[in-house]
Amino acid sequence: MKFSFFHLMPYAKLPDDFDTAYSSTSLTYPNANFDPAFGASLYSRYLDELEYADQVGFDGIAVNEHHQSAYGLMPSPNLMAAALARRTSRARIMVLGNAIGIRGNPLRVAEEIAMLDLMSGGRVDSGFVRGIGWEYFGHSVNPTKSRSRFDEAHDLIVKAWTSPEMFSWYGENYEYRYVNIWPRPVQAPHPPIFIPGAGSTETMRFCAEHRYTYMSVYAPVRIVRRWFDGYRQAAADLGYVADPEKIAFSVPIYVADTDEKAHAEGRPAVEWLYHKGLRQTAEMVTPPGYMSPGSLRGVLASGLRGFNASYDDLLAGGQAVVGSPSSVAKRLGELYDDLGGFGQIIGLFAIGPSTHEQVTRSTELFATEVMPVLRPLGTEGSA
Amino acid sequence: MTEEFLELPGGRVHLLRGGTGEPVLFLHAAGGAGQWHPFHELLAASGFEVIAPDHPGFGKSDEFPEVERIDDLVFHYLDVLDALGLDRPHVVGGSFGGWIAAELAVYAPHRIGSLTLLSAAGLRLPEHPVTDLFLLPPAQLPAVLFHAPPPPAPVPDGPPDLDAVIAAYREATALARFAWVPFFNDPKLERRLRRITAPALVAAPSDDRVIPVEHARRYAERIPSAVYTEVPGCGHAMYFERPAEFAQLVAAFLNANPLTAAQSGDSR
Repeated sequence: MKFSFFHLMPYAKLPDDFDTAYSSTSLTYPNANFDPAFGASLYSRYLDELEYADQVGFDGIAVNEHHQSAYGLMPSPNLMAAALARRTSRARIMVLGNAIGIRGNPLRVAEEIAMLDLMSGGRVDSGFVRGIGWEYFGHSVNPTKSRSRFDEAHDLIVKAWTSPEMFSWYGENYEYRYVNIWPRPVQAPHPPIFIPGAGSTETMRFCAEHRYTYMSVYAPVRIVRRWFDGYRQAAADLGYVADPEKIAFSVPIYVADTDEKAHAEGRPAVEWLYHKGLRQTAEMVTPPGYMSPGSLRGVLASGLRGFNASYDDLLAGGQAVVGSPSSVAKRLGELYDDLGGFGQIIGLFAIGPSTHEQVTRSTELFATEVMPVLRPLGTEGSA
Repeated sequence: MTEEFLELPGGRVHLLRGGTGEPVLFLHAAGGAGQWHPFHELLAASGFEVIAPDHPGFGKSDEFPEVERIDDLVFHYLDVLDALGLDRPHVVGGSFGGWIAAELAVYAPHRIGSLTLLSAAGLRLPEHPVTDLFLLPPAQLPAVLFHAPPPPAPVPDGPPDLDAVIAAYREATALARFAWVPFFNDPKLERRLRRITAPALVAAPSDDRVIPVEHARRYAERIPSAVYTEVPGCGHAMYFERPAEFAQLVAAFLNANPLTAAQSGDSR
């Protein structure tokens, strides 16, 4: 089992009337509520927490991209990765990922990841995401082109990293007469690619074909099980057994010395994430064309709804893991079985109004007491 | 009223047709595809042959995936006119359909017998922004669309109608394909409106909370032959809110601007 520490970088300080006054932390939540001095202190603290995770033995430290949102404060994950590249030396630096569906210039992403690969000594993992629905509003990118832009940007970036010679590119969305990036990445053939999945069979097949890591996003375990099985089936259809290391389970985690303390401290963080951070309207999340009619039908029929579940239901559904080290290890072991196995845990350790001390203690306890227990699981042939 | 399918190289166009008289091509708004509304019936009863196709990706028309932008829609409707054997019909468009009608009249002024724009989208007026209906929860739509919103329909028992949800998402997807960015506008349209040669009626509801009435006024300023009128006590729903007023207004304009025998082709 590989373990990574994922930082959402939330801006958790919301006004008291947030629940009644605002429909979301994203897109239209006024940035008058952003205090730059406080934001600067958060960046400093959050980068410290990522560096701490490297020091205590996590295999990876992860950042992501979100726009116009208090939910996550990283419009540019590559900037955060650059800051981490020079301050860490061991852990993989995971950009999960660049939202290539909304980027105007995917060649720039190829260049920046190549730079990061050099700066980090070949430690970069490169995730690609489409971007959340509201980001198609925020950046005025046509959501009906989302899939096409994602696919084309991916193909262009990989070719830019790997082509032995200069080439030109004429695609549906992008045109370049000269593709000849300097620098090229140091990892061969290119940095490992991670793709989050949310039930789309196209994505499962795409990941299986390229042998990319397929990672889950917030959903009840019964639904994630379907996604992971779909990925495994897609690999089987291609004639191979999916390597468990290419299946990553992402989940919010909070560890404290005792179960009582963990729930007392972790509950506000979990509730902030699901009930405030992820508060959003259906119109924001699924703008027209962001999903195919068939995929939308699948989502509606699957019963995957918003994030209104109670704390207890979130825990029962495997949408958060909270407890003492032994409880967390036990619960993650159960989820491992429930999900048919996986080889990576991407833990969200900083998801709400937790203090720096709480997050670092949780991180430390997980690294020292939970990771050793789970380490043997999920390696090739272990299942 | 009859229902027909028109075979084009890129797919099938669904259309409704009713009445006899000079042909009127009616281009529907974001809502209303595939509906033969009292407005259509009243207009047909006034002595016109009303032909109402569904746009690509709307109603029962096919997707026409190659129709991506407003210029593609213009060529699409030139194909439709050819397939219908309409040389120079009256063209009436509401809201999104009004944008298509205006563009059609700019690209091919000789194919338009008369032009009627009912609170048409299409102009870029940043100081009078178009409401973002894509972001609006459906429950809030009536208050935005109507001057006097009808009482909310009773919520039906049982699970939501999945087919209806998917159908609405499909139409919204087609609309977004054409109008997400630039947002319901063609930056070049305003300066091209001088090319329009047909007689033109520009009408707006007095209380438009979707496309501010300034858009219609600008159309009226820029189209050489335009006459401008407002329908009082009415919202952007227009002929859904006041079908009789809109049918009477349009019929009066069409009657005052008949297609001459030399101009109009046979409708079939």
